[in-house]
Amino acid sequence: MLEAVHLAKRYSSIPAVQDLSFTLRPGQVLGCLGPNGSGKSTTVKMLTGLLEPTRGTVLFDGRNIQEDLAGYRARLGYVPEEPNLYPYLTGWEYLELVGTLRGMGRGDLYVKIDSLLELFSLHAARHVSIGTYSKGMRQRILIIAAIMHDPEIFIFDEPLSGLDVTSALIFKNVVQTLGKQGKLVFYCSHVLEVVEKVCSDVLILRKGEVIAQDSVTNIGQILGQSLENTFLHLVEDVDTMSVARDIVSVMTAA
Amino acid sequence: MTFTEPIRHQWEYYRERPFGRMVRLFVERIFRGGGDSDSEGLDLGVGLVLTMLAMPGGFVSILLFNKYGSLLQWLRGQTNVDTLLIAFPDEYFFIVLSMTVTGAVAVWRWDAIFPDRRDYINLVPLPISTRTIFLANLVAVLFLVGLVALDVNAASCVLFPMVVTASQSHFLFFFKFAAVHAMGVIGASVFSFLAVFSVLGVLMAVLPPRAFQRASAYIRGIVVVYLVALLSTAFAVPELLRRIRGPAPVWTYLAPSCWFVALCQSLRGRATPVMIHLAHLPLPAIAVLAAVAFGLYAMGYRRHFVRIAEIADTASVAHRPWKWFWNSMDRVWARTPFEKGGLRFVAKTLTRSEAHRLILTAVGGLGLVLGSQALLAAFESAKSLRAAALTPDALAIPFILSFLIVTGLRVIFEIPAELRANWVFQLLLDPGGEECESLARKVMLLAVLPWILWLTFGIYIWVAGTLVATLHTLLVAIWTLLLTNLVLIRYRKVPFTCTLPVFKQHSIVILLSFGFGYLLYAVSTPEFEASALLEPVRMFSLLPVAAVAWFIPHHLDKSTIEVEKKLIFEETAARAVEGLRLSE
Repeated sequence: MLEAVHLAKRYSSIPAVQDLSFTLRPGQVLGCLGPNGSGKSTTVKMLTGLLEPTRGTVLFDGRNIQEDLAGYRARLGYVPEEPNLYPYLTGWEYLELVGTLRGMGRGDLYVKIDSLLELFSLHAARHVSIGTYSKGMRQRILIIAAIMHDPEIFIFDEPLSGLDVTSALIFKNVVQTLGKQGKLVFYCSHVLEVVEKVCSDVLILRKGEVIAQDSVTNIGQILGQSLENTFLHLVEDVDTMSVARDIVSVMTAA
Repeated sequence: MTFTEPIRHQWEYYRERPFGRMVRLFVERIFRGGGDSDSEGLDLGVGLVLTMLAMPGGFVSILLFNKYGSLLQWLRGQTNVDTLLIAFPDEYFFIVLSMTVTGAVAVWRWDAIFPDRRDYINLVPLPISTRTIFLANLVAVLFLVGLVALDVNAASCVLFPMVVTASQSHFLFFFKFAAVHAMGVIGASVFSFLAVFSVLGVLMAVLPPRAFQRASAYIRGIVVVYLVALLSTAFAVPELLRRIRGPAPVWTYLAPSCWFVALCQSLRGRATPVMIHLAHLPLPAIAVLAAVAFGLYAMGYRRHFVRIAEIADTASVAHRPWKWFWNSMDRVWARTPFEKGGLRFVAKTLTRSEAHRLILTAVGGLGLVLGSQALLAAFESAKSLRAAALTPDALAIPFILSFLIVTGLRVIFEIPAELRANWVFQLLLDPGGEECESLARKVMLLAVLPWILWLTFGIYIWVAGTLVATLHTLLVAIWTLLLTNLVLIRYRKVPFTCTLPVFKQHSIVILLSFGFGYLLYAVSTPEFEASALLEPVRMFSLLPVAAVAWFIPHHLDKSTIEVEKKLIFEETAARAVEGLRLSE
């Protein structure tokens, strides 16, 4: 079980996350929603141990992850928001680097890399440098790197960004299957439909605070609306149609 | 309003016209490369690149003060020295140096010279004809040829004539010498660049696009080998050229450096009949090469750039060609997962990252230049091969190379590669892990020991016998180990993953330390060794020095507190005022 207990993070006295608490249980796929600047990325970084909270703790199976960060990260699979990879390595070499650093055995590692590259339709481009990959290809490399060591906890930050329709569908099914297998999945996204479809529970953030947390079905039922409308109702105070009209009028102005 | 104002306005006008803007774009991309422009790694500005290119010529000129200084000549008992005669081998050296550096630049920028897919995507949709794009690229290449030829030789065109004519009282002598030298080295530079450019043009005109991509790396390798071979002719060719009687042998036609040095000698009225014959070759050769290079380039442009959209962008790497190498590395050299992964990461970054490859090449080039200089000096004064091998100059060669490689790698490790991608190391490595120093040490030793030791031992056992070979090789090995320990004091980063350190505060101290270290390591040690090898027992007097050099890093490591041993990914300058952050 992964628990965030009263997490807070400040960047030179500017609060990014304030008093954030939630629990992620085995089999649960927890979606994290929020507008830009709501603290999603900071939360993800604290959950992965890349950032130390100013206050509060992240507990895994009751233990503070900072006590044995290396042990915790060995059980973690993480797909970051941006596909920042070494452009001069090939896809195969990058996966080999990650697998080697994770201490995976050579035989097992090479078999897994080849099989996963094949399944994610990257096998033909495996010896091509990442610099020439499209965003979707880079994203698929990140996903393979996150799952190939069979972790217990998955943290996905906008994992579908740049993926083509087929790869996105495959990945959504992978996430649901992982949930059914009892893994812990924390899923951050801007795409409400995906969260609605993939996640069992949802966490909505605004200005670094949790403003709603429940199962996807319950949240909709409470307000009697779709997740999209619920989200807009909770976090945004913008008339989207009027903004769209303004954009077009500026664009066409002489 | 000054008379320069209209010219400036006109210049500004043309600079900002689409054609002028495109020329600027191509010049910038030729310098900065076609890699990820948004990379947070080292952005080698034009100024830095030009400074680095000018360094070898300047460095070698300064080293020659020792040879030409009239007081030093007098102290050595050399009177009535014929300056032009003793300057001949050095002039040849500058010509091959200029050809090698310029050729290396052309090889290095090979991919960036020609407009690529990114240019195609950005420029072709704009209302600009492909002919204009071609002309803008051509103007940029011509500008680059001129700039590199002037820059590479700028220091030697001023310093070398100053050094050579220091003992002469007539300014005209300096002026004539400098003008002829400049003509020789700049001509050689232009020739070298055009020659590499012609090879590129021939390949593009002859090979299909995919075959060109595949062959490109190998052809570049062959050109580099030729350039290195050309540089290594510096210590033998001048003497051979001077001794030729009768018609010019075939090898003089194969080494264009001979044509340019012959031109210089001919203009000074010091040429032999063979040199007078060879002096007729450089200028027609440059003209023919320019016509061939640009003609073939135009053909290549039509075949490649115009059809880029039809060519798949698959710059594939051969399927794990080094598998056997890495497997043996894993068994012998790298034990832990971090070392296994780290070694691969370092090797691939050094060989594939543009900025790192450039600095590594510059370090290798400087090593080659200083090594060649030492070899030239060793053969100048010695009467036999054995005597030459036992001079401090010849003994210094492995020390020079190991010093430059170890310190060069230490500097290169500080330069980040795609900083935003280092999250993978932050995520996967134990922050308290202390394996980085061991990894860096293994890389440095691997870069030095296998080849330098074998070459040193092999050459010295042949030239000077087993005892000298063993002692010399042992000393080089021990000194390399100690130097590695010294440069890695308090090292706690994965190479290439940390932000650039703030050099400003300590840069002068660091530069002085490197200079002082070089003198101790690559000058004083071989000088002492040369005398000690006459009576090998004296070698034991180096033991206390070695003990001190071993003790310092060992002691500092022991006294370092745990917090300072933690892995870092960000270099932060010490704050002038530390906030207490009581509110947090």
